[in-house]
Parts: sequence; C-alpha cells; structure tokens
Amino acid sequence: MEENPRGWIHGDETAKAMLSRILTERPFLFLPPLHRVPLRVGNVVEIAGPSPSAKSQILLHAAVNCILPEEWKGIRFGGLGRMVMYFDLDCRFDVLRLSQILKHRIMEAYRSTNNTYWKEKGEHQKNDAPTTHMYLCDDELFLDCMRRFLYIRCYNSFEFLAALKAMHSHSQRESEALGVSVHFLMIDSIGAFYWMDRACQPMPIGGSKRKNVSLQSLAEAVVQEICKLLQMQPVLVLATKATIFGAGTSGNDAQRLAHDVNLPILRSTSSTRAFGKWCSEGKMDSRTSSREGEKLMYREYMPSSWQSFVTHRVHLQALGL
Amino acid sequence: MIEDWHQPWLNGVELLEDSNHNKHFLPTGYEGIDVLLGGGLCEGQLTEMVGPSSSGKTQVCLYSAALVADKHFGVVMFVDTCNSFSPKRIACIVDQLSSSFSGEAKERRLKRVMSNIFCHSVFDIFALLDVLHQLEFKLKQQVKSGDTKICLLIIDSISSLLTPVLGGKGSEGRLLMVSAGIILKKLANEYNISVLVTNHMVGGEGGILKPALGESWKSIPHVRLQLTRDQGSNICNVSILKHTFMATGRTAKFVIHSRSCSVQDGRGR
Repeated sequence: MEENPRGWIHGDETAKAMLSRILTERPFLFLPPLHRVPLRVGNVVEIAGPSPSAKSQILLHAAVNCILPEEWKGIRFGGLGRMVMYFDLDCRFDVLRLSQILKHRIMEAYRSTNNTYWKEKGEHQKNDAPTTHMYLCDDELFLDCMRRFLYIRCYNSFEFLAALKAMHSHSQRESEALGVSVHFLMIDSIGAFYWMDRACQPMPIGGSKRKNVSLQSLAEAVVQEICKLLQMQPVLVLATKATIFGAGTSGNDAQRLAHDVNLPILRSTSSTRAFGKWCSEGKMDSRTSSREGEKLMYREYMPSSWQSFVTHRVHLQALGL
Repeated sequence: MIEDWHQPWLNGVELLEDSNHNKHFLPTGYEGIDVLLGGGLCEGQLTEMVGPSSSGKTQVCLYSAALVADKHFGVVMFVDTCNSFSPKRIACIVDQLSSSFSGEAKERRLKRVMSNIFCHSVFDIFALLDVLHQLEFKLKQQVKSGDTKICLLIIDSISSLLTPVLGGKGSEGRLLMVSAGIILKKLANEYNISVLVTNHMVGGEGGILKPALGESWKSIPHVRLQLTRDQGSNICNVSILKHTFMATGRTAKFVIHSRSCSVQDGRGR
C-alpha cells in the first residue's frame, strides 16, 4: 500500500525521460525495403499483396538482416545479431533461397571491406590472401547465422496455436544456448487457413462451457497468444497476407478499405533478385492511388480481431515484368 | 505434451541438412526443363505446369514418370483425371531409353518400369482427397519398413477436378482446393516426394489467356511453369511464372519427340 500518496501523484519520471528511455530500450528499426517506415519492437506489421509480389522476399531479407551480426572478425555487416522465429503456414519456405540471400550479403560485405582496404593501401593489385581468408571465415559465420533462424511449419490452425503456445519456452531454451534473444516473429501467410477455418461450424464442443470453434474465435485465440508473447518477450511481428479477392470488388467494400490503407504504399517489381526499383508513394487513399488506372481494391477477409491487432499495414503491388 | 500438437522446431542448419540429404532433383527427361529448373523437379516441392491444351504437359508427365521409374529413383504414382495416361507411350519411351539392349532385356526392363508406376483414375475432387489420405496413411506405416518408396506424384490434371467445384460465390470449392494443396505440400515435405500437377488456361481480361483456378491457387504451388507450343511444331517453350529461388521470366525450349516405336531402325534416339 502506498504510504506517500503525494509521491504517487507526482509520478515516477517525466515524459522526456520516459521517451529517451524507451528510444534506447526499443530503438527504431529500418528494414530495407521498408526503410521509410520506422518500426519498433511491439509493432505488428501486415504485408499484403497479390500472389507474385515479393512478400516472402521482404520477410527473408529482414530475417537475414536480423541474423547477421553487427560485426564479425573486423568486418562490419550491420545486422542485429538476434534470432528470428519463422512460422511457415504456407509451407512454401525454401531454405536454399535464404542461404542464397545470406551468402550474397556476406560476400558483399567482404567485397566492400576488401575494396576499402585496397583503396587505403593505394595498391591496385589484389592478391589471393584476403579471398582465401574470406572463404575460410565464410562457413563458420554462415552456420552461426543459420543457427539463429528458428523455423516451424504448421498445417492447420490448431498446429499454429499449439506452436504459439510452445514458442516462449522454446525461444528461452534457444536463447540460453546461443546467448541472444528473439527479435522478429514472422508469419508467412496469416490467411493460409482462412478457407478451412471459415468452414468450421460454430458448434459447441463438449458442453456449453467450452468456446465454439469458428473463424472469429480462432483469430481471437491467435491474437491472444501473440499478445501474451509480446508481454513476456517483446518482438517485432511481421505477417504476410495474400490478397485473395481480386481487384474490382463491389462499392461497399471501397468504403471499408478507404480507412485502412492510409499508410505509405510501396510498389515493387516482381523480380526476385533486383531490389533496385523501390519507390514509395507517400500517404494516399486507396481510391485515388491508381496511376495507370489500376485499382488497389482488395477485400479485407481477416476477422476484426486480427485487423485491429495490426499496427502497420503495407500494400505491395507488382509493377509488371 | 504440447509437442505432440505441432510439428518439430527446426533451425536453419537442420533445414539445410535436410535439403541436401533428402531433397533430390528428379530429371524430367527434357534437357531444356531440367537445365531451367537447376536439375529437374525438386523433391519436397509442388510444381505446377500450366498451358493451353496440347502444349506438352501430359508428355512431360509421362516422360518424367518413365524416366524416374527407369532410373530407380523410386516409385511413381500417376493420378489420372482425364484418361491421359498411356501405357503405350510409356513403353515407347522405355524403348527409346533402352535402344541398345536386346529383346529380352528390353522386356524385363519394361516390366520393371511398369511395375514401378501406379496409376489411379479419379474423376472428382473427393476421390482425389481420398486417394491422398490413403497414401498418407500408407506412408506413415511404411516408414518402419524399408520398401521402395514413392518419390514422384503426378496429377494430370488437377484443374479438371477443381474447376467444376470452384464456380460461383460459394466457398466450398476454394476450401477443397486449399485442402488439396495443403495435403499435397505435406506429402511433399514429410515424405520427400516431388509433386507435379497440371493446370489449363482460361480467357482473361482482353482475351489474354491466364492460368485457371484463380487467385487463391496462385499461392499454393512452389514452382509454376508455363508451357506453350507453336502450332504444328514439336518445339515447346517453358517459362518460369514463379519459383522459390529463381527469377521469374526465365525461359527454355525443349523438343517433344513423337516418333512411333514400332520400327526399330538401329540409329538410336
């Protein structure tokens, strides 16, 4: 019980102190290509787009950024050096693609260090010693990074829920083993089981005390589990979502869409390798965002409990091959 | 206890090991496709071939079935929905492959190949789901015994089963499609099978052809290939619509030999 009510009224810290404390404890993250959107741990980002629009590629690049260390054997990688938790609901994850991106980043860092080294020395000949050194260090760093990538596959919503419940204890075990904590929680395709869950009849299981199984209750349970996780272990949640209903939907949906696409909309080319062509359109309304007359009308199909849980929504659109 | 309710946790290193040891490439027999895909059909992945009719999809299916069975990769299961499976064509292909063998050796080889290809005829989506569930059950039991296990599952064509149920605003069709997709990917991942399905094309906006089965299907296969064939020629074009680690838009050509095999002219292939 408070013995000093006056002290309680005066508060613990000023707003300025609190802000500086939070900004150091939970700094902003800028993940390319979403580098114009400052993200913090505790945010829930939904990346939505039609099928070939590089959503999973964004996740993979963010994952590589996270598992790479800040610095290793004198070479600066600029990564976070933390673990990533990847929930593969679509079951389309390809580890070869992840290792391809990781190797490419490592090579790039080595090459740029090599170039600066030779520039400083003023020599134009590159001998083989740094390159062999590079290949020897490669494997160890590569495996180190891959160990920080935690993965689980789910074939239905129940497996997903069970995995979410078990995630905390598993991540604790891994943290103790590797010495770093989980920073990202990635869900590849949150809408993967939409059609199956929608077909669940809302009938009571085993008496009226248990909750009915339905699309809404499953989504609520998922949101609840993730909230619990966020309280115990703050992570940044990135979820992709495939837009199922095509463009050009009916009029009442347009009003529903208008308020939630109020964020910077990024467009991408659909090539998996070239990441050069990124342009952000700034804040705009979904109805007026068509440049060549295309409409960004995609119907929101996730239940409202998920929709209100999301803090940032990013829309991707392929600009054509 | 909760560990029984979800799949096991893995990390990047374990995933890589699994990919290197268990997930091999199965050649289709057509060099153009194999080179384009970096070796062939990948075990653990669901590959879709899309193309208008008579663009070579069934030929690729039959050739890869024959080749995989011949080269001892494992057992092939061919799910036939439109009566496209042709034992005569398989015999012809095996004949071409074993052109240097004598008559009796050829017979034995043909018998072995035929006994490694299991063909099921299904004509609706429920029968397909039934076949897949039975296959999953059988494979679960088979893990203990050491029989030659299935490594290639071909469904020619899955779109003819799904298009009748997909029409209209009802969601049951999409539910069946997504369920079929999930069980196919589960079979592929857990039992190291390469799944090959074919799809046809429908008219889209502006009269351009587009793959059938709609938007929801697009995010189900790992790899999507588009086949086209110019009329009258036997050169087919294959291009990548979607791949897990290769850029889309890459193309290749391959030739379909439609030589009849009743005459053995000793000139080899």
